[in-house]
Amino acid sequence: MSFANLSQLGRSLVEGSLSDPEILKATGKEPPIRILPEASVIKIGGQSFIDRGRAAVFPLIDEIVENLGRHQMIIGTGGGSRARHAYSVSVDLGLPTGVMSVLGTFVSMQNARMISYLLAKHGIPFIEPAQFGQLSHYLDTRGAVIFFGMPPYTFWQENPSIGRIPPHRTDAGAYLVSEVFGCKRMIYIKDEEGLFTADPKKDPTARFIERISVSELKAMNLPDLAVEHPVLDMMENAANRRSVQIINGLKKGNLTRALSGEPVGSTIYAD
Amino acid sequence: MRGNPLDQRHHLDSMLMRESLLDRGVQRSTDNDRQIVRMLPDAQVVKLGGRSVVDQGHSVVRPVVDALAKALPEHRLIIGTGGGARTRHLYSIGIDLGMPVGVLAELAAADALGNAHILGTLLSPYGVVAIPPAMFGHLLPLFIRSVPGVIFTGVPPYSLWEHPSPVGRIPTHGSDAGCFLLAECFGTKALTLIKDVDGLYEADPKHDPTARLIPEITTAEVRDRKLPSLPFEPILLTLLDNARLVRQLQIINGRRPETIAAALAGEHVGTILRAA
Repeated sequence: MSFANLSQLGRSLVEGSLSDPEILKATGKEPPIRILPEASVIKIGGQSFIDRGRAAVFPLIDEIVENLGRHQMIIGTGGGSRARHAYSVSVDLGLPTGVMSVLGTFVSMQNARMISYLLAKHGIPFIEPAQFGQLSHYLDTRGAVIFFGMPPYTFWQENPSIGRIPPHRTDAGAYLVSEVFGCKRMIYIKDEEGLFTADPKKDPTARFIERISVSELKAMNLPDLAVEHPVLDMMENAANRRSVQIINGLKKGNLTRALSGEPVGSTIYAD
Repeated sequence: MRGNPLDQRHHLDSMLMRESLLDRGVQRSTDNDRQIVRMLPDAQVVKLGGRSVVDQGHSVVRPVVDALAKALPEHRLIIGTGGGARTRHLYSIGIDLGMPVGVLAELAAADALGNAHILGTLLSPYGVVAIPPAMFGHLLPLFIRSVPGVIFTGVPPYSLWEHPSPVGRIPTHGSDAGCFLLAECFGTKALTLIKDVDGLYEADPKHDPTARLIPEITTAEVRDRKLPSLPFEPILLTLLDNARLVRQLQIINGRRPETIAAALAGEHVGTILRAA
């Protein structure tokens, strides 16, 4: 094979070692393009939101509909209670992490399907990972799409360093969509005002954190966190999406404010 | 449903009900003493390098294919492939066009799949079949007991969901990682990486002919020694450290095809890399 037309970096990539630090550094010299810079990724929590049923979900659906045409929305879903049940059964039976990842995917898909049926009359489709090629078309014509938040790693999910539960779940999956497409925002919709120093459902002394950097947050070494830990590491390495926002979707208007760039809820940013 | 009256979420009764899965205490509690199921304890994963084997053409590939074919009656083989030169070329053009890492990962899977089909063609006379990625994981236990061996694209299905790289824009989960993760999830007996060097050396043997082979090493030692280049994807070090079932792998040289049968039989013929 002749690679005479390649740039110098191109030739090093073809001929050199991909673990050579100099070559790796050169591949990051130019920033990647932003594929969908006008879109926002929204993740609707499973346990924190969808599991609350109609009382929580219907008003949020109304707010999503109000924002159609104003903001492009790529909407992912969490797993929640049924995912926890599946993980509990799996831990008890000694199932590998990769199999739990398959089970978690099924649950977040059920939630994605339900959200998409609630939005179906507005022509908003549910897309599987294989259909992401059509994402730009749906956003352009319909203004929103629904996807399941789990990254499609299935049997290839990495083991966690602690415990057995898949470390990359729906927070990470949704975040990675916002990063790879160079989206404008990553908004997590939960049932609390945002990030706290502890779980406010269990600890009444938990303090609200409005804005914090990844390194500050890591230094606090909190025992519990409102987003999956790997999202923090990913943000530090990210080329595009270097901040995420956590909002309380139970409060009408919060999503609209977040989509308009207002600092509602908590913001975590990479330094 | 019992519990806090302020909690209006509808829970499903389970050990993790109402818990934050991000709580370290909860995470630790999932590490019970239950033995993790080994789904395919009698199978082994073999990774065939793209650039180091498949791209080298007939003189290298044929003896490797013959060695694998000869091993089939004795071993259940799951053969993964890398992308090789076409993936390198894709990275080069893709980076020049500004493609993000997830797009590079999405597209690179096609090159490894192409190599899976190349090997599938060569091993077809022996009953080995290349299985499409969409069904591979789910049907692997069926195929591995129905045919003498299977081939898959070693690249894991991370695609657009590839993690941002710590340095630069090369996807971190390539076919070495994909083969490892498969072996770990299915609890296979062993993982062998077939490359074009005898194993891990103290320096790159292609540039320094006096470099000495390291027959056995742990992940911690690899990190400590800060070796300039590794003949495997660096993420394997982390994956091995977190592994529960596959705690070591062996790197062997496809240009010495006689080592293939030996490695499959569990002999030490290359470099053994172990979790620390």
